[in-house]
Amino acid sequence: MALLRLVSLLVFVLALEAQALTPSHYLVASDVDRLQAVLSQPFTDLKSAYFSVVGLSKLGVSVADSNDACSFIKANVDSSSIEALFYAAEASQAISSCEIHVSNETRDSLHAAVSEDSTVSQIHQAVSALSSLGLPLASQEVVSALKARISKEDNVVAITLALQTASRLSQQAELGEILEEIEDLAARLDDLGGVYLQFEEGLEATALFVSAAYALSDHVDMEPPLKEDQVIQLVNSIFSKKSWDSLSEAFSVASAAAALSNNRFHKPVVVSAVGPATVSHSHPLLQLHVTDVLCQPLSSANVLVESATSVASKAAILSQTPFTLRDGIFELNFMASKPASGYYQFSVAVTGDSRLVANHVELKVKVSTKVAINNMDLSVVDKDQSIGTKTTRVEYPNKGKASFIADSHQNFAMTFQLVDETTGVELTPHQTFVRLHNQKTGQEVVFVAEPDSKNLYKFELDTAERKTEFDSISGTYALYLMVGDATLENPVLWNVADVVLKFPDEEAPSTVQSKNLYVPKPEIQHLFREPEKRPPTVLSNTFTALVLSPFLLLLILWFKLGANISNFSFSPSSVLFHVGHAAMLGLMYVYWTHLNMFQTLKYLAIIGSLTFLAGNRMLAQKAVKRHEGK
Amino acid sequence: MSSSVISVISRFLEEYNSSTSTKLKVVDAYLLYILLTGALQFLYCLLVGTFPFNSFLSGFISCVGSFILAVCLRIQINPQNKAEFLSTSPERAFADFLFAHTVLHLVAINFVG
Repeated sequence: MALLRLVSLLVFVLALEAQALTPSHYLVASDVDRLQAVLSQPFTDLKSAYFSVVGLSKLGVSVADSNDACSFIKANVDSSSIEALFYAAEASQAISSCEIHVSNETRDSLHAAVSEDSTVSQIHQAVSALSSLGLPLASQEVVSALKARISKEDNVVAITLALQTASRLSQQAELGEILEEIEDLAARLDDLGGVYLQFEEGLEATALFVSAAYALSDHVDMEPPLKEDQVIQLVNSIFSKKSWDSLSEAFSVASAAAALSNNRFHKPVVVSAVGPATVSHSHPLLQLHVTDVLCQPLSSANVLVESATSVASKAAILSQTPFTLRDGIFELNFMASKPASGYYQFSVAVTGDSRLVANHVELKVKVSTKVAINNMDLSVVDKDQSIGTKTTRVEYPNKGKASFIADSHQNFAMTFQLVDETTGVELTPHQTFVRLHNQKTGQEVVFVAEPDSKNLYKFELDTAERKTEFDSISGTYALYLMVGDATLENPVLWNVADVVLKFPDEEAPSTVQSKNLYVPKPEIQHLFREPEKRPPTVLSNTFTALVLSPFLLLLILWFKLGANISNFSFSPSSVLFHVGHAAMLGLMYVYWTHLNMFQTLKYLAIIGSLTFLAGNRMLAQKAVKRHEGK
Repeated sequence: MSSSVISVISRFLEEYNSSTSTKLKVVDAYLLYILLTGALQFLYCLLVGTFPFNSFLSGFISCVGSFILAVCLRIQINPQNKAEFLSTSPERAFADFLFAHTVLHLVAINFVG
């Protein structure tokens, strides 16, 4: 019972570990060199000097000419600017034996910058400058200023700078609240597809956050609240970009890489195969790069194969086998275990340091081999089997001396075996094709050779049955055997023999159709849409007149009824109303011919409001007159 | 049978002529005009086909809309209906008629193309 529980717990733990994330994006040696090259560009100003010098020091490299750099910094520092002092102080500290002296006024201005009225960026620069210059600073004041500024500037960049500032303060100061900001910021990271974790502000903000978070965590010796999967997702985000737009971006990536490869809590491990993960008899060693994020090999680590199982047969080949370290590469002689060719799933564990993250990696390893063709027997068999078969053996890579003749009463048959050259084990590669190529017409027909239960390959050609594939063209066909597979080092194309096929009802040979496939096709003429048929103009004109005619009828009827305008009062409002109304109708016509809806609405609004006011007045007057008349 | 129809019609016409005020007859003449215009447009469409369908629709809907608005005006200014339209004076009805026509014409002209 206890054993069962233990086993189930172990399985559960293994299952969890099997699903742990491993870095899919990381810097390789050429990327690190490129990063170094970007950071080694000649300085244009103090800011770029800071990025270059401090960035290179994070990569563990010193700047090319340190004396030159030091004099450049000293020449370009402007004591009145906090930012310039920050760049100069940080850069000079990264160069050995480069000291900057500051006057008392400068020191006082740096102290004055630490207040609730400066931005977090200014506080960060002042505190870092004071710390790098070795000047004393009041940590508690800084903490209270930072806390006040964080509540006002609640953005990612500002809080990251606050974290970075806090890592330069004395350990006695109350950094607890600022430490909690790491967790709040981590909650703001966007999870993209479970693979990336980054701020929407971009790569630089994410990288600077990582370096600030680890700097502060190391300073107070408390593990940052980042889960292992989150750390790997951050690695993926930061190192997915392999060429950097600006010096500040390259600097942030270098800072993050330095922080992730050298902090007290989390050390992401990058395991990758050297070249393709393939072993064979000529290359029996499986070689792995096991490095940190800066592509430096973890020489003190132990790399172990926990299990290596064949993908096809699920049999375990290796268990708990260590790799040996040689020249910074971890090697294992896999062929010593005599694996059959195919794919193997390796489960590799890296141990030796409690900080290692993503130290269980799944790797797919291919074992390739060379194939040999044995017992290639060709024969022509009579269909009614009355005449005995004549079997000819052909050795690879020779070609059969005599050609084989098969007509409609006979079948052509071929059997062979495919074995592993070194071990003699039978193989079933993915591609075993028999190709018949007619030299005269260029026609080729391909068949598949299938293995039977004893792994013996058989191919039979029934001349009568297959005549449609050949278009019934008789003649000499060259027979080729094609063998190929992902795990074969020597794919085979072997002209085994010539076969003369005689088909009944021979038709005139037609040239191979395939040649016509790639010839330009006849041009398609585009037919534009023909305009619709219109009725004759006479008809339309007649109907136009007809439709307008009821208006005459209306006028006649009105005249007969005695409708008149004798009551028309020439007051300004009624004149204006009628003019406005006529203008509106005219506007409708102009809309039909010239304007669009927006312009019409504009004019309509103007004319309409005038007409409305005038009409309102006019109708009111009429109403009054009507009431008086009653 | 036909004679009774004719007699009904002639009696109706007599009553109409005598009991309807001139104002309403003016509006009725206008209604007849709109009706004829719409009918003729429809006849054209039946004969020739709906080629510029949007134009046909625009014209036809304009006629139908005008007819409806004129009928509303007629109902509202009829003194016999005064009890139902206490708050609407004939002037107000006419103003509504004009405003609705403005909107109708705007849409019809937009659609006629």
